Amino acid sequence: MTRLTIETIDDLLEYALERNASSIDLRDVRFMDPYALLLLELLLLELGDRGRRVEVKRPGPTAVGRWMTAMGFDAKGSIAGTPLRDSASALQPIASIDNERNVGRIVDGFEQRLAERHPLSETGRRSLIAIMIELFQNIPHHSNADGSIEDPHGIAAMQDYKDSLFLAIADRGIGLNGSLALRSGYEGMTSRQALRSIFDRGVSRFEDPGRGGELQRIARIVRSWDGTLAVRSGDALLYFDDKGGDVYDVPEFPGLQLGLRLPRHILGIGMLES
Amino acid sequence: MEDMSVERFAIAQFGIRLGTRLEGEHARECLLAALRSLPPGGQLVLTLEGLEVLSTSFSDEMIARAYQVLVSGELGNRTMVIETPQLELAEGIDVKLAQRRLAMLCRAAGTWTILGFHTPAMDETLRLILEKGTTTARELADELGLQMSACVNRVARLAQLRLIHREKIGMKGPQDIYELHSILQT
Repeated sequence: MTRLTIETIDDLLEYALERNASSIDLRDVRFMDPYALLLLELLLLELGDRGRRVEVKRPGPTAVGRWMTAMGFDAKGSIAGTPLRDSASALQPIASIDNERNVGRIVDGFEQRLAERHPLSETGRRSLIAIMIELFQNIPHHSNADGSIEDPHGIAAMQDYKDSLFLAIADRGIGLNGSLALRSGYEGMTSRQALRSIFDRGVSRFEDPGRGGELQRIARIVRSWDGTLAVRSGDALLYFDDKGGDVYDVPEFPGLQLGLRLPRHILGIGMLES
Repeated sequence: MEDMSVERFAIAQFGIRLGTRLEGEHARECLLAALRSLPPGGQLVLTLEGLEVLSTSFSDEMIARAYQVLVSGELGNRTMVIETPQLELAEGIDVKLAQRRLAMLCRAAGTWTILGFHTPAMDETLRLILEKGTTTARELADELGLQMSACVNRVARLAQLRLIHREKIGMKGPQDIYELHSILQT
């Protein structure tokens, strides 16, 4: 596998989780996006929790290897304390989101790193900040809503590309159906049904009519921008890009993982020559 | 109708980027305290001046939920309106009020608009009341070409949402007669 992305990471998950692999060989990987990086991070934690010792063969001193290090990923599957900065590649290293009180500070940090590299339009900046606030606070609100998870391990990262900005958010919590199951009448849903209820009808785990609808709104915004959205929960993946999309079956994995690819021009960032 | 006392409440006092529900919860307590401190019939102008970002979650937690309390009647006949330099800043308020089937008056760049849940019938009736300042259901029914009962229902809904003041001025048979007032100061 040479590209580890939103579109291909599930093949790796299936290989590692369902085929009892003893090693994950990334040596041929030449490109990795933040969504795949976060899922890889969570996958290693998950395998560790299942008592599986899996050797990770890293890409080596290639651009993607340096990028993984700069993004704060280490082979043991934990977030490195002080990620090396590689100004030529990494934009926003993996950040931990564990508390609603820290969300504002983390969003400020993401925005600052982006602004250091690219001047954003006022509208683009506002939209991106609002999206990050909603997605980041979802982790403390929902990932451990029933108190059953010791460490939901909420994380986020961001990367810029020549035509897009990529934001990824992931956790190892109870997932969308786990969250909805806390509401009377929504117990026992499959991940696919939970994704549909949330993205088609704006349902949340709360009876309060003011709660919920944020993910549905963000999906609408991303669609109107011709962006890409991947939302993975349990064994279902909602994926769409500018050509369309659907809900797909994927290997079972705990928690909720989101990837957003936003065209740069929407945020007022100029496109780069290839 | 007595002159109403109008106070201003700047949301930017809580920061220029307002995001989480936790932050909104704290701000709601301050907003409700400000509403309670108004004299009966008073109005709070909630200004978005100086804000960069107002998320939907914060909007719901602070503003929509406080407005729910206002509409419940717990705060008497006090009212609250929004003032914003740009309508796009109030988008989260619009979304969350609509979800709660509430509506608020909002002045954006000098023009009054309705945020939240509203129908063309509500808009038509409210705009006429705002234009007239003071009127009656009978007068509205005549001007809008409505049956009296339909007009009374519209007016009752607007009053319930705190978009107008309704003052009982007498009775006609078993029915109360109301004078209707705009909540905007002329």
